[in-house]
Order: sequence, then C-alpha cells, then structure tokens
Amino acid sequence: MPDFLVISAELAWPLAVLLAWLAGEFIHRWTKLPRISVYGLVGFLCAQAFPDLFMTEGSSPVTLLANVAFGLILFELGYRVNLHWLRINPWVPVSGLVETFATFGVVYLIAHLWGLPSMTSLLLASLAMSTSPAGVLRVINEQRSSGQVTERVLHLVAMNCVLAVLVFKVIVGFWVFQTSGSLTQAISHSLIELVASALLGAVFGMVVPAVLRHLGTLSRDGTVAFALVVVILVAITHAADLSPVLATLAFGLTARHRRVAFTRTVRNFGAIGELMTVLLFVFAVSTLSWNNVLFGGGLAIVLLLARLLVKTVSVAAFAHVGGIPWRKGILTGVALSPMSVFVVLLLEQTKYAGIVLVDELAAVAAMTLFMEVIGPIFTQRALILARETAQE
Amino acid sequence: MPLETFNGGTPLTMGVELELQLVSFSDYDLTASSPDLLHLLARKPFPGNVTPEITESMIEINSDVHTRHSELLAQLHEVRDTLVTAGEQLNIGIAGGGTHPFQKWVERRIFEKPRFKQVSQLYGYLAKQFTVFGQHVHIGCANGDDALFLLHSLSRYLPHFIALSASSPFVQGGDTLFNSARLNSVFAFPMSGRAPFLLSWDEFEHSYFAKMEHTGVIKSMKDFYWDIRPKPEYGTIELRVCDTPLTVERAAALACYLQALCAYLLERKEEPPAEDDYLVYNYNRFQACRFGLDGTVVHPKTYESLSLREDILTTLRKMDPYAEKLGGTAALNHLMQVTHMGSDAQYLRDQFNASGSVEGIVDAAVRRFRGRM
Repeated sequence: MPDFLVISAELAWPLAVLLAWLAGEFIHRWTKLPRISVYGLVGFLCAQAFPDLFMTEGSSPVTLLANVAFGLILFELGYRVNLHWLRINPWVPVSGLVETFATFGVVYLIAHLWGLPSMTSLLLASLAMSTSPAGVLRVINEQRSSGQVTERVLHLVAMNCVLAVLVFKVIVGFWVFQTSGSLTQAISHSLIELVASALLGAVFGMVVPAVLRHLGTLSRDGTVAFALVVVILVAITHAADLSPVLATLAFGLTARHRRVAFTRTVRNFGAIGELMTVLLFVFAVSTLSWNNVLFGGGLAIVLLLARLLVKTVSVAAFAHVGGIPWRKGILTGVALSPMSVFVVLLLEQTKYAGIVLVDELAAVAAMTLFMEVIGPIFTQRALILARETAQE
Repeated sequence: MPLETFNGGTPLTMGVELELQLVSFSDYDLTASSPDLLHLLARKPFPGNVTPEITESMIEINSDVHTRHSELLAQLHEVRDTLVTAGEQLNIGIAGGGTHPFQKWVERRIFEKPRFKQVSQLYGYLAKQFTVFGQHVHIGCANGDDALFLLHSLSRYLPHFIALSASSPFVQGGDTLFNSARLNSVFAFPMSGRAPFLLSWDEFEHSYFAKMEHTGVIKSMKDFYWDIRPKPEYGTIELRVCDTPLTVERAAALACYLQALCAYLLERKEEPPAEDDYLVYNYNRFQACRFGLDGTVVHPKTYESLSLREDILTTLRKMDPYAEKLGGTAALNHLMQVTHMGSDAQYLRDQFNASGSVEGIVDAAVRRFRGRM
C-alpha cells in the first residue's frame, strides 16, 4: 500500500504552485492586482496549513529551483542596466546611494531604540536596504511599463541589491567573527565570497557572448544559452558556498556590456521563466512561520513605513536635478517597495554558516510577508500613476 | 471650418520636420518616453521646435524657416545635439530611420492629446501602425496657384525623394525587401495618396475643399495624408514621402534638393503638369519604395522607362546652377554620393548582416544619428 504521507509530500509543491497560479490568474482578472502578490499569499497559507509538507532545507531541489528562478530574474535585471547612463547622469547613482544608506541608518536606529541587540539591528538594517528585483521586474513586465520611473527603478534596484549584499555579508562576517573568533572564517564568509561570486559572473558574462558570436547564432540561441548558464552559475555558487545573487547579476551586467550587437533575451525568459516565478514566490514565504510574523509584526510595520518614507524622500529629493518631475521622483521611491524574495534567499544562503537568522529576526518574517503581498501592489500603483503602463 | 487663406510668403524658403524614434538602451526596442523627454526639453530653450507625435515612442522636431543650406544644417546640428544630450540624461536613444525594425505596434501607447485620441478612435490599429517616421519638407510659395502648380509638377520627381531618403527596409522583425516600407503604412489611410488635379487655388478651395468638408469626411487640411499637400497657413507645400534619414545632414540635403527643383520648375520651362501624369504615379512610387535607387520608373510624358538612379543623377546635374544660386551645392554633392554609395536602407541591411541581429541595426542607427561614426 503506498504511503499516503510520502505521496502528499511529493505532491505538495507542484499542487501549491498550481493553486498559486490559478489563484493568481483569477484574482488578477477580478482585481487587476499583481499576480505575484497572490502567489505569495497562497504559499504562506499552504505552508501554515501543512508545515510538515513544506519543510525545505538549504540543499533541497525546491531551494535550488527557487535560486535558479531568482538567478534568471537577476540576469535579466543586470542585462537591462546601462552603466554608461550612471556615469552620464550621476544624480541617479547619487539618489541610489543616499536612499540605500539612509534606509540603513534609519532602520538601524528604530530597531536599536525598539530594544533589539546591536548586531540584530545591523542585520535588519542591511536587509531593509534592499529592493527585490523579483517583485519589481515581474510587475514591470506584467504591466509592460516604460518611462523614467521604470528605467530608474530598474537601475536603483540593481544598486540596492549590490549594496545590500555587500553590507549584509560584511555584517555576517562580523557575526561569524564574534561567535567563532576566527578572522579567517569571517573573511571567507564575506569578502572572498563576494569577490569570487562577482568574478565568476563576470567571466561567464565575457565568455558566453564571445562563444555565441563565434557560433554566429546570437539572435537565435541567445535566450537558451543565457538561461542554461544561469542554471550552471547557480549550481556552482550553491556548491561552492558563493553568492548566486552577485554572480548572476554580474553575469547579466557583463554580458550586456561586452556585446557588440544586442539581442533581446525574451522578457521573463518565456513560459519557463513564468513557471519558475510562481515557484519562487510560493517558496519565499513558505519559510516563514505565523508565530514569527505575529511576534515581529509591530516592529515590522514601523520599519516598513520608515523604509518607504526614507526611500521615497531620498529619491524624490534628486528628481529635479536628475531630469524628471518631482511627482515621478516620488513614484520612483514608492515603486522601490518590494523586498521579500531577495531577503528570503539571502537568509537561506546564510544557513550554511550556522546562522538561522529568520528565527532571530522575527521582524524580518513579518516584513517579508507584508512586503511580498503589498510591495508589488505599491510598485504597480506607482507605475500606473506615472502613466507608464500599457493601459491607456 | 472653412479652408484657411493661403498666406503667400517668400518663395523658395524651406523648413524641415523630422519624426524621430525614442529607443530604450536596455533592449533597443521603442520606449514610451516622449512625455519624459518633452518635460526635460521644456526646461531650457530649444533651438527649433519639438512636439509630441501620435504614439509616445516618437517625437517631431522642426526647424525654422531658412533660405540657405548652411543655415538649415547648422540649426539641425544644434537640434540634434540638444536632443542627444537630453536623451542621454534620461537613458533614451534617439534615432532616424523610417521604421523601427522590430517594434510591435500593439505595444505602443497613444500620446495623451485629444487629436491623437480621436485619430486612434477613428482609425483603430492603423493609428498604432502609424508608428513610422518621416521627414516633411516645406517650401514657401508666393500664392496658392503656385503651390498647386508645384505640387503637381513635383509628382514626376516624387520617386527621387523616396529612393534617396529610403531607410525603412525592416518591419516587425523581418526584411520587407522594400527600401521604404514606411509608405505602405501611410497608404492604408483613406485620405492618403495624391491630391486631386486642380491648378487654381480658388477652385481647390471652393469646388473641392468646401465639398469635402460638406461630406463631413474632413475638417481641415490635417485630415489629408497626401504625399504632397498644400499648407495654406504657412504658405507652403509640404512633401511628405521621405523616410526620416539616419542623419540630419541627409535631411538638410533633401530639403535643398527640393528647393532647387522648385526654383527650376517655377521657371515653367517644362511641359505643364497634366492629369495624365498620374497614370504612372503609383507604379513609379512603388518602384522607388520597393527597389530604391535600383528601381525603374516610367516618364509620365514620354512613357520612356528610366533607371531611377540615372534619372536622379541627370536631374541633380540639371539642378546645379539653381543650387549654386541658393547656396545648396554641398547638398547636391551629398546626394550625388548617395547615388554612388547607396541609401540608408542599404546601410541598415549592411548593419544587419554585420551584427546578425535587428537590435544591431538600431544600435547602429542611434550611433549614426549622433554623427559619431
């Protein structure tokens, strides 16, 4: 007789993904809300209803798939970033630096005043710096938006990601040093990991376009080749305890800037990319527990409001000198709301260092849940108000 | 609304309008960025005039009224540099070319302006398919009768301008095998094509325009999408068959060629225009669109078959003294080069072969517009 529980566990993820997709389609049609908000909600409810079925470990296939899905998104983001623009219009990177570090400062201050230990506050602050490329990019693609808010959000998200990873890893390095006393171990968990990840991505970014050019099939095979290399990059970084975030982002950035002729990589990587996204968003919140969300809810709301305010004010402050109206500056800041998926995957990767931060940081759990559902709605509304979506 | 009075002005003055593409640097597709670019440009004086176009991925610039090639070219250079700088500040590429090689019309957004919304409502998908980019050249006329005389006399030379400006070989991701595929999009509009054969402004105003207005089909001259149309409020005729060239140098040269031709035609040494000239009009137009400089046209008076390239070269030589008097010799030399080197359509096909992708074409067009290659 087949073991009912085993079958259920094997079926749990595919069923949850199917359910999330269906719910996403129906609710999007009725309410026009972003599909990914619904995916997250379904994932969270499934995981709370059947916690045993949705248990994942760092090396589980689901975690790896989620990382690949995120890798594809990061590659696409890197591919759309134009470094030349950041040199020509320095107010864009300046606003990015100000909003990221101002967020760090304000979140740290609030967490510290709330009574959290210094190290915990620092980690919270570094996570709050980030904006999730998954949320932002999916909404941009879903809305088919284009314009200055879209363009600036994409570039600021890339900056936020890189800065958040850097600061987070440095703080984790200190954490490791404090707990283990080993400086070597601390550095290997931060600096070496960062440099090696970025280098790995950059090397692939140079080699792949060169090979494709040599084959002469740039426009035909580009998308498949890039997707395959993202899968490989994620596998390598996973095995070597490196950062897939930095590696895939660096891959996208270098691939874009190393090419003589550009080809369109299919937005969202086509149907497979869509499928992976559902999985990614269902997975991201399945790691959270209801207790943590309740426990950290109060602080999370305060932090999220502060983060939204700081990011919006900082970006808007540089809008006029950067060449856009104040209104679009404000909307760019609001569109930077999503942060969940990025945070979850960053924390997942820290598990191997023996640090289970989600439990330590109850507020993170709550922030992640709120922002997974609400963040994309903020981005969507900001793009609609900026009149940059395809709807007329 | 009755037809405006024809404000006759200084004959042979010229002005240029260019519709330009706004390109995203992330994927080289068109980007709906004209509101952002117009906002930025409005903050400083602009060396000419810039206006929105029907979809948000286009803008139109126009020059002042000029008499000499050097002045027109200097202003177009200034306009181009201002546009490129503003575009770079917003991460927007600006390019010429009659079509974008792979944009999907379904993804375009109609600019928020009552006239554009009305056009979109009336013409449906044609409005979005009208995301094509042309150069319009205005030539000043002393009076309405001169304007109609020039309009019909020029019909025989129309293929020259189509072939010399052709820069739209690719549409929706594929090579159309046309040199100017843009004009096929314009042809879909019911009020497109040739103007009715009338040589008296009085007759045009009362027998034709008034009747058309009475039918309710048209309200103003703007509703006609003719290849050449009179523009009474400016006191000009407007040539509308040119694709936007990839460079402002070619745009200025085309304007000066038209100026010299009008100077020549106004001497009335040629046989006067006749309705029968239009027997071969559509065929010649097609040849120029399809084969560009390699096309074969039929002379409307003699019915003789002519190589378009040879016909252009002969006409350019004939226009030399007129261009010299008007200061446009450099312009004709530029066009002479085009007949030898090939049009922008040829250049774009070469870029496709070299880069292996349609995105490579746009990349090259953006760089060529900047004048840095």
